[in-house]
Amino acid sequence: MSYKDRRRFLWVLFLVGLALIAVVAQATTLVRLRFQDLVHYSYSIARVRCIHAESRVENGEIWTDTSFHVLSHNKGYLPEEIVVRQPGGKFQHLHSHVEGAPEFRPGEEVYLFLSGQPGRQFLIVGWAQGTLRIHPNLRSGGETVTQDSSETPVFDPASKSFTKTGVKNLSIDIFEQRLHREISRETE
Amino acid sequence: MTLFLVLWSVNTAQGYAFNQIVPDVRQPGSASGGSACPVPSHHLTSPAAIAFRWSTTLGTNPKTILTLDQTATGSLNEIEQVIRQSLGVWTSVSGTALTAASFAPLVRNSAANLCGSDGINSICFDQPDMAFTPGVLAFTRVITADQIGIQLGSGVPSTQVGQILDADIYFNPSDSLVSFSTPAALAPSPKSYDLESILTHELGHALGFSHSAIWSAMMFPFAPAPGTFTGMRPTAQQPDAPLGDDDRTGLRVLYHDPADTQFVGSIQGRILPANPLSLPASPPGVSGVFGAHVVAIDAASGSVIAGTLGGWSCQAPGPAQFDGTYEIGALAVNHSYKIYAEPLNGAVGPSEVSNALTSLCRNPTTDPGWPPLQSCVVPQPNLEFTTATRPSP
Repeated sequence: MSYKDRRRFLWVLFLVGLALIAVVAQATTLVRLRFQDLVHYSYSIARVRCIHAESRVENGEIWTDTSFHVLSHNKGYLPEEIVVRQPGGKFQHLHSHVEGAPEFRPGEEVYLFLSGQPGRQFLIVGWAQGTLRIHPNLRSGGETVTQDSSETPVFDPASKSFTKTGVKNLSIDIFEQRLHREISRETE
Repeated sequence: MTLFLVLWSVNTAQGYAFNQIVPDVRQPGSASGGSACPVPSHHLTSPAAIAFRWSTTLGTNPKTILTLDQTATGSLNEIEQVIRQSLGVWTSVSGTALTAASFAPLVRNSAANLCGSDGINSICFDQPDMAFTPGVLAFTRVITADQIGIQLGSGVPSTQVGQILDADIYFNPSDSLVSFSTPAALAPSPKSYDLESILTHELGHALGFSHSAIWSAMMFPFAPAPGTFTGMRPTAQQPDAPLGDDDRTGLRVLYHDPADTQFVGSIQGRILPANPLSLPASPPGVSGVFGAHVVAIDAASGSVIAGTLGGWSCQAPGPAQFDGTYEIGALAVNHSYKIYAEPLNGAVGPSEVSNALTSLCRNPTTDPGWPPLQSCVVPQPNLEFTTATRPSP
C-alpha cells in the first residue's frame, strides 16, 4: 500500500470512527439535538436566574413551575419574569418523578433554550439538552457554561475509561460567540 | 487537583442509583417507618402485584408505530408481543424476586388518554402531553408515596414507603419526524426508532431505576440510533439478553431475592480525601467525597458488572450521612473485582444530577415542620479528584 493509499485508508478509518460515535449518541428518552437544532427549535434563548420553584397539580398530574428572572435574551422576546414548566414534583405525600427533567435552585443562573409563547409557561427544548448551567471560573475570574446532558461521565467498557460529551466547561465568551453565530446563520 | 484515596473491602451491603424517596418522618412511625433514610422506589413483588395495560389507540397520520403486519389485528398483536418481550427482559433476570408471576396479565384498552395518575400502570403511544418538546422521544412518570396508606385513584393503598403507586410510559405522538418500529419492522424502516429498546428502557424507569452511566447498560440514557437496537435481542435461551450486567445487578439489589445464594456478595468502601481540609465546609458534617461514580469490573473477564453513584450512607433513624461511602451489592460470589472511581466531572450541583443524588435529604426549608435531628442538606458533588486504591486491612 502506497503512502497516499495508507493516508486515505486512515482517513476512512477516522471517519468511520466518527460515524460510530454519532450512532451511539442518541437518547432513549431524548433525541440528541445538535447545537444548531437546539437554536432552531427554540422560540427564545435567554440567560436567567432562578427565583423559586413550586409544584402544583393540573389536569391530574404533578408539575413543577419554576420562576426565572430574565437577565438577557439572545433570541426571541421575553418579559422580565418567566415561568418554566417541568413534569414531576412533590404534592402532599405524592412524589412524581420523571427522569431527565431538570431541576433548579433559587439564585442559580442558567441559559435556557425555550419553546412556548409569552403569557403561558415555557418548556425547555430537549429538557437536559436545553439547560446550560453557568458557573464561576475561579482560575480565570470569568464564567463557564455546562450543558446538563453532558454532566455524567460515561464509562466505556471497551476502553475502561470515562468520557464526556456536549458543552462542558466552555468559556461564556466562546459560548456567546457560538450562540450568536448560530442565531445569525438561522436568520440569514 | 486533590488526591483522594479509595478504601474498599468485601462486605455485605446494598445500595444503587435508584429513584430515592425520604419517608415523611413528621408522620407517626407506623406510617413513615420512623426513619429519614432514603428508600428506593419499588413495586411489590407478590403474585400479580404489578399490573400494566396499554392503549391500542395509535397515531395514524403520520403512523407512529410501525409494524410488519399491516392488518389491524396483526399490528396490535405485533405491538403486544413487543410489550410482553420487554417485560420478559426484566422478569428473566436470575436471582431477583421480580418474576413473571409478579405481573398481572397484560390488558388492552382502547381509550386514547389512558395514561394519568390513576393508580394503574399504563403504556400510551398516542397521548399528547405538554411535557413533550422537540427532542423528547418518550418518558415515564413514576409516582411514589412517602408514607404508608396512600391511595392513588383506583389503586390499592400503599403498604410500604417508596412503593410505586403509578408508572405511566408516554411515547411522543406529535413529532412527525419520529416513529417507532417493532423488531420485525425495523429493517424495512431504518429511520425509525426501535420500539423494544425504548420500551425496555422506560420499563426500567417504571420499575424504579434511574439512569446509569455505564455505556453498555439498558438504563444508559443514550440509546441506539434509528434503525438499530440496544445490546442483543431477547431469545428463548436468554430472554434478558438486551440488559447489561449493570442492569441485572441493579435489579437484584432493588428486588432482592432472599432465597438467592449466588449474588450475595457486595463491595463497600469509602472515598476519602488525602487532605481533609479539601472537604466542603458547608453543609456541615461532610466527611468524604460525594457524588463519585464507582464501577466494579470482573477481574477475570474484564466485564463491567455494576456501577453506582457513591458518597453517602444511612442508618436508622437517619438522616443520610455524607461520608464518602459507596456500596455495590448483589455481586456474584467467588469472583474478584476491580474498582474504578471518577468524579462527576465539572461544576455540577446536586439538583443537576440524577434523582439518586438530589432526593437524599429533607429539612425544615424543604418541608415545614421537619424534625431538625433528621434533617440534612445534600452537598455539592466533588468536582475534581484522582484516586488511589488501598485495600482495607
